[in-house]
Amino acid sequence: MFLYYIALPFIAAFLLFLFSRSLSKTFHTGWLVAIVPFVLFILFLTNSSEISEGQPVASLTNWIPSMGIQLSFYLDGLSLLFTLLITGIGFLVVLYSVFYLSKKENLIHFYIYLLLFMGSMLGLVMSDNLFVLYTFWEFTSISSFLLIGFWSHRARSVYGALKSMMITVFGGLCMLGGFLLLWVATDTTSIREIISQKEELMASPLFMPILLLVLLGAFSKSAQFPFHTWLPDAMEAPTPVSAYLHSATMVKAGIYLVARLSLLFSGSDLFFLCVSGFGLVTLCWGSFMAVRQTDLKGILAFSTISQLGMIMSMLGFGSEAAIFAAVFHIFNHATFKGSLFMVAGIVDHETGTRDIRKLGGLMTFMPITATLAFFGTFSMAGFPLPIFNGFLSKEMFFDASLQTASPSGLARQTAPLFPYLAVLGSIFTFVYSMYLFFGTFRGKVQLHQLEKKPHEAPFGMLIPPFLLVCFIVVIGVLPNLINERLLAPAAGAIAGNSIHIHVAFWHGIKPPLIMSLIVVTAGALLFVFKRYWEIIYRYLPGKLSADKAYQAFLNRLLRAAKKITGSYMTGSLSLYLAIIVLFLVCVTAGMMAVTGGFAFSTADLSPVKWPEVITGVSMLIAAVATIFMKRRIAAVIVIGVVGYGLSLLFVLFRAPDLALTQLIIETVTVVLFLLCFSHLPVMKPNSKPLRSRVADVLISLAAGTLITLVAISSHSSKWFQPISDYFVKTSYSLGGGKNIVNVILVDFRGLDTMFEITVLGLAALGIYGMIKIRLRKKGGMEQ
Amino acid sequence: MSNLVVLPILIPLFFGAMFVFFHNKLAAVRLMSFVVLLINTATAIFIVYEVYSKGALILETGGWKAPYGIILIADKLSSLLILTTNIIALAACVYAGATLDEEREKHYFYTLFLILIAGVSGAFLTGDLFNLFVFFEVLLMASYSLIVLGATKVQLRESIKYVLLNLFSSMLFVTTVAFLYSVTGTVNMAQLAERVGEIQQKGVLTSIAILLFVVFATKGALFPLYFWLPKSYTAPPSVISALFGALLTKVGIYSILRVFSLIFVYKLETTHAFFLLLAGFTLIFGVIGALSTHNVKLIIAYNIIPAIGFMLLGIGTFSAESLAGTIYYLVHDMIIKAALFFLAGILVYIAGTSDLRKMGGYIKGYPLVGWMFFLSALVLAGIPPFSGFIGKLLLLKGAFAEKHYLVAAIGLGCSLLILLSIIRIFIMAFWGEQKEGKKIKLKRGMVIPPLALLCFSIFLGIGAEWVYPHIQSIADGLANPSQYINEVLKAR
Amino acid sequence: MEILMCILGGALFAAGIYLLLQRQLLRIILGTALVSHGAHLLILTMGKLNRGAPPVLGEGIGHYTDPLPQALILTSIVISFGVTSFLLVLAYRAYQKNRTDMMDQLRGTEDE
Repeated sequence: MFLYYIALPFIAAFLLFLFSRSLSKTFHTGWLVAIVPFVLFILFLTNSSEISEGQPVASLTNWIPSMGIQLSFYLDGLSLLFTLLITGIGFLVVLYSVFYLSKKENLIHFYIYLLLFMGSMLGLVMSDNLFVLYTFWEFTSISSFLLIGFWSHRARSVYGALKSMMITVFGGLCMLGGFLLLWVATDTTSIREIISQKEELMASPLFMPILLLVLLGAFSKSAQFPFHTWLPDAMEAPTPVSAYLHSATMVKAGIYLVARLSLLFSGSDLFFLCVSGFGLVTLCWGSFMAVRQTDLKGILAFSTISQLGMIMSMLGFGSEAAIFAAVFHIFNHATFKGSLFMVAGIVDHETGTRDIRKLGGLMTFMPITATLAFFGTFSMAGFPLPIFNGFLSKEMFFDASLQTASPSGLARQTAPLFPYLAVLGSIFTFVYSMYLFFGTFRGKVQLHQLEKKPHEAPFGMLIPPFLLVCFIVVIGVLPNLINERLLAPAAGAIAGNSIHIHVAFWHGIKPPLIMSLIVVTAGALLFVFKRYWEIIYRYLPGKLSADKAYQAFLNRLLRAAKKITGSYMTGSLSLYLAIIVLFLVCVTAGMMAVTGGFAFSTADLSPVKWPEVITGVSMLIAAVATIFMKRRIAAVIVIGVVGYGLSLLFVLFRAPDLALTQLIIETVTVVLFLLCFSHLPVMKPNSKPLRSRVADVLISLAAGTLITLVAISSHSSKWFQPISDYFVKTSYSLGGGKNIVNVILVDFRGLDTMFEITVLGLAALGIYGMIKIRLRKKGGMEQ
Repeated sequence: MSNLVVLPILIPLFFGAMFVFFHNKLAAVRLMSFVVLLINTATAIFIVYEVYSKGALILETGGWKAPYGIILIADKLSSLLILTTNIIALAACVYAGATLDEEREKHYFYTLFLILIAGVSGAFLTGDLFNLFVFFEVLLMASYSLIVLGATKVQLRESIKYVLLNLFSSMLFVTTVAFLYSVTGTVNMAQLAERVGEIQQKGVLTSIAILLFVVFATKGALFPLYFWLPKSYTAPPSVISALFGALLTKVGIYSILRVFSLIFVYKLETTHAFFLLLAGFTLIFGVIGALSTHNVKLIIAYNIIPAIGFMLLGIGTFSAESLAGTIYYLVHDMIIKAALFFLAGILVYIAGTSDLRKMGGYIKGYPLVGWMFFLSALVLAGIPPFSGFIGKLLLLKGAFAEKHYLVAAIGLGCSLLILLSIIRIFIMAFWGEQKEGKKIKLKRGMVIPPLALLCFSIFLGIGAEWVYPHIQSIADGLANPSQYINEVLKAR
Repeated sequence: MEILMCILGGALFAAGIYLLLQRQLLRIILGTALVSHGAHLLILTMGKLNRGAPPVLGEGIGHYTDPLPQALILTSIVISFGVTSFLLVLAYRAYQKNRTDMMDQLRGTEDE
């Protein structure tokens, strides 16, 4: 059943591709596309009642069962929350894009990518199988790559697309490593079954690498410090994409993964330290850097980073309250951040710029947008009023930071630091929220700086953010509206037992409220006096930024690749050959030494006879002389001596056929040598420097020695009767010939001979072609 | 006894030889080559069917029983590779007709091409080590003639190096066969396996084995023996590069796989551990090479090397799982490398240069080519659910299960860099500012071959359930060589 | 005798490899000839030398030298002849086109 849900966006994308030509230009393709998330949203909603009663729904289809990879999907509270976000926000974003993107853009591509993403994301949050999850995980990276690079002629888009892909795929591969180890350790690929083996796994030495690798994947996807750097560059994507992928859904895939596996990892100090620690650092760093940005979407990007850090840290805290707060904030963040991105898009659309330095005072021109932005920003800031859902989850976050799950060791010592970091991060969150709102909508208007005269956005464009803002307020007023139906089951799925927490605005004057008040006061002060302390951003070491680090890494990698490859790929034959021979010598000698391969036996040798020795010695002398010959003709003569010497040896060693063949071939070869060499330039003295000449001598001597040694050892290790006895016995009776060698050639091993002739024929063809061919100038495609 | 086995060698050989006499009737030769390859593919399919339903097919050539005569044996592995070879050959045949200039075609391209296929098929089928040398020489001689076909400056220069290095390693090959004959008294691979097993690969045998490995590794392009490869593979026209990249190096790795799963399997802790080390280096240096250049064809050529590294990783790990991974990867890589070289050829044709820095914005004019490049980048990098992923998953799982963590981690890291190297082509050539230049119409024969191969490769991934069990059974067979030995030597 | 022949084979290999490492094409080609001679000699040596009669069946001969290595060498000789002649023409053509027979001038540039 779920397979069809997930397949729906893919099928829709395919249909879009098929009918791309025939789609009418009179209405926006987005209207058609919006049907998909809407239908899916309703479908998932109909499942929600069962799930909120604690009955997950599963479906299973075989894909590669023999490898343990099955399309096993599973809808529990956690997945349901995500599927509703994906389809719900997806629907709003598509609606928004109808007004945002003009019909002149390449809409078909845009919506195909978007649908691919939607399907992959749904698959990701519903997979029970590790590798199916991984498949969808990589697919979200790829569709994000395509969406960021949508305006592919812009260099910035391309840069951002590549960067996001490299970092998220890097994380994905780490995660794959972790998953493989999980598979090896538990022998199953089902997440539920793996979790059921938690005890054994915790004791396994693989537990720590698994944890770290999986977290690397999650952190890079969810833009945790220091992998956050891809997110700001991803803002090159069209704004609907940023609102969808880079705030509400894809970046939460990492959160989802940690949440999904936190049952497996929870209780380990490493998990607690890493997840909370990196989460809090990301929270602080993201919010601190957001204040520095001048691009509206840049502010929102860093804000997203910091909010993701906050959610991540809550998952790390591990207490029931923290998990519930995390789930609550996932939802709240989607509402206010989604609406804010849409607002930023509206501002961009209506004024022609997103540079906050050029904006200001837009309140009077676009009052509705400003109102929407007000709710978004103040909810994000966690302003203590009962109309902002952001405040509720923020306060639960403070509460959770004070009561972390009881860790031990190092984790216990660092835990008391957490509330301070939480407050610090939240102060800056407050500052950038105010900066965003007041910088854009209040203050002086600078009409001359704007490309267009600002005016209110079209009605349709305001609807999606309006709906999201409605959620902000409704949840703010009635916080328990979706609690039992959505949040509690999700939190329960993460923690593994049912969690029931009543959300309330007023708890009395308790530490969390005090923390909130500190945040508001300090934040307001910092915002008002922003221009006095802003100067510190100038002293930040630019080289240490993650973006610079990424660039430097990539550049160094490419430069090093060029340098390393250039150092050995010199195109020099003698270098290549020297390396091959050296490798041969070292490896074989090494193997001989390790396996005791050398053998020497004089037991089975034929006696030394003078004619043979004399022939051999003269061959040796001739071979060495070849090296020193200074004239072509002389060189050919000495090489001829070696060849004829060989045929003499063949005679002496009772191989008459060989001797004959060698004699003929040697003669022809010598003639060929003479012919060819007369066309080649005269012999030049060896121009190599002395050092490489010595090296050449050593290399060739080593190779010769080695071959001699292996030859002697082989000859001294005749452990079996050779098969040739059979040839001797049957040559005449079965082969019908008395010359055994001939019978072998034409009968026993006739196939060899047949193809030996083929080789000769090929050589002839090749030679003919080489000499005859004259390419015409524009004959082929690659000339 | 089945004469069927020899057909994949004989059909292309016979018709290849015939075409020598009709080399000026190009239209007919083109069509006939296609038909011949179609028949050959059908034969291969039939062989695969027979082998998978009834077991290995064995032909004792000339009627001489093993181990005395030469044995041709189509077991599951060989028949699968024969089929893959023929599929690639079909695609190459179409692509050649569309892209090669008439001069090259007339100078016996189709003859050389068909005999190359015959040689490759022979190397996959033979069960005799010396006969393997002969088939090596057949395919090498065909490749020498192909690489220099056209006799341009670059081709002549690179082919000299190519011929010389291969000549040296061939000589080493025969010498090594002789050493092996001296020790075991046989050149039949099944009997070699039996005899080496009898004495537990003692004494000098491991040294000989490693000599043989070096020979195959030079052909198969392993670190540090592949330096000749990238430049010489990119010198000839793309269709020839595709054939080389898809088939030649794979014959080398196939031989390693065969010899080191059948014969020399008694000193795993030395030989195969050493393979793992080499696999790591091959992966790293290959992928570094792929990142070092802006030449499209060179990027693809360098990418041959890490793929070989992956396959060696599986042989080195030597478990049923990792061997299955190696075979899966082998088939996948043959297909995708051919497709990539075809695509690179089209790109060079469009741009009029192979320098990426001079390209840009082609996605508007050539969307199909662009998306094929994009898809093949994903396939090559092993992104699921495409074919590369299945092979990689098996290989890495095997390596992790046998606790070879480091080399598995290198494999993972290299996947990322492989993706980067190919996606760079996509980004630089298809995205970015549109470069000037008039739109060139692409012939169907250029686009269809890579498209077909890509579809096949996607099928290998998504349809893994239809393929994987067979490959697992091949791997089980390799891990347990006694079956092969008994089948070949049963007549004795 | 076999030991001596092994040494001679190794020496031929050594001299051949040394020549292969040179820069001038002419010398390199000479090197290939030496290497193949070395290889063929070693193959012959790997069957036993000088045992029995030449492998031509005759009356009253009980023992023959091992015929298989000889057959293998024959095949190999013919093949190397084919390759060598191809190489010679290749060298000639390469010299014609590139106007040099020094391998260090035949390296090629980085991006072609």
